[in-house]
Amino acid sequence: MKTGQAEIVETSKGIQKSGLMSRRIAILEFILRIVAFFNTIGSAILMGTTHETLPFFTQFIRFQAEYNDLPALTFFVVANAVVSGYLILSLTLAFVHIVKRKTQNTRILLIVLDVAMLGLLAAGASSAAAIVYLAHNGNNKTNWFAICQQFNSFCERISGSLIGSFIAVFLFILLILLSAIALSRRH
Amino acid sequence: MDIEKAASRREEEEPIVQRPKLDKGKGKAHVFAPPMNYNRIMDKHKQEKVSAAGWKRGVAIFDFVLRLIAAITAMAAAAKMATTEETLPFFTQFLQFQAEYTDLPTMSSFVIVNSIVGGYLTLSLPFSIVCILRPLAVPPRLFLIICDTAMMGLTMMAASASAAIVYLAHNGNSSSNWLPVCQQFGDFCQGTSGAVVASFIAATLLMFLVILSAFALKRST
Repeated sequence: MKTGQAEIVETSKGIQKSGLMSRRIAILEFILRIVAFFNTIGSAILMGTTHETLPFFTQFIRFQAEYNDLPALTFFVVANAVVSGYLILSLTLAFVHIVKRKTQNTRILLIVLDVAMLGLLAAGASSAAAIVYLAHNGNNKTNWFAICQQFNSFCERISGSLIGSFIAVFLFILLILLSAIALSRRH
Repeated sequence: MDIEKAASRREEEEPIVQRPKLDKGKGKAHVFAPPMNYNRIMDKHKQEKVSAAGWKRGVAIFDFVLRLIAAITAMAAAAKMATTEETLPFFTQFLQFQAEYTDLPTMSSFVIVNSIVGGYLTLSLPFSIVCILRPLAVPPRLFLIICDTAMMGLTMMAASASAAIVYLAHNGNSSSNWLPVCQQFGDFCQGTSGAVVASFIAATLLMFLVILSAFALKRST
């Protein structure tokens, strides 16, 4: 009763050490969420403020390019705005995870919401990427002309705003991974 | 008598962790005594483990079935897109009007990604079986959730890129002067739309798989 079961009792130092790893994971998650928020809101703003008017025009038509003209780009802006709003709201929950000890149910909720937002963000980013690729290269078989040859700065802006969104997708995958690791730990 | 009453009162509470008693300068080894309700704690833990194994096994079986369906759906989407081709009945002396998936690079990437995901889902079926046999083991589930998340992102990307192209083929775009191709190639458009829908179903099933694995990773203690 006295000697053989000495390993059952956990010293206070042992509990503190394993709780420290969970706390580090929670802090890393918080930081990743902030970085992903800045990426998505930057992408949304950069795409949403594109507007290029070509210097020549006929008597009736003016050649303009906006993100509104292509529905895939509109979906991109909306998806990035929604995801950045979600990230701001989930910062509070992530902060609670740093402080509180028993966080299993809230972590499951956060994983579920993160998976849904990852799907939305990936869909928005890649549909915009497909349209941007088409705008750069065109397609011979379907007779779709590459509009980037006329609208240069418009094309540059929409290509640049894709980068932030793809970085945010990668960060979301990391976030889900970290949440799963923290969920499976004993403390 | 008083000691027994105190012990029975403390049985319902949390386990007692005794702080080690420091023997200053006497050179004896510190002997840590286990808490007084040690046996009850271990019995409670064993009961919790058995009940956790029960519902985790059910979750693992559901996970296996969903994985099988998602694998079939992903490979069917890749096959449907790869075999859709249409040749228009009229032709000039130099050109023949043909449409197949290699004409659009987005569709080629769709076929490649969906076959990769279908292959991954088939190869991850043994891991799912291991999770059924050992419901309380954490490493196979962790591996599955990590790979499933990455594959879900990949599938969603391929499916929505192809959906954007298919939408463009159906509707065209007046601002950029892109004509809708589907008015000429009707069968091709139908085939590709069906493949895109199947890929979205596979992506949704992958989402459910990630959520299921997250539930099953939860430790009851």
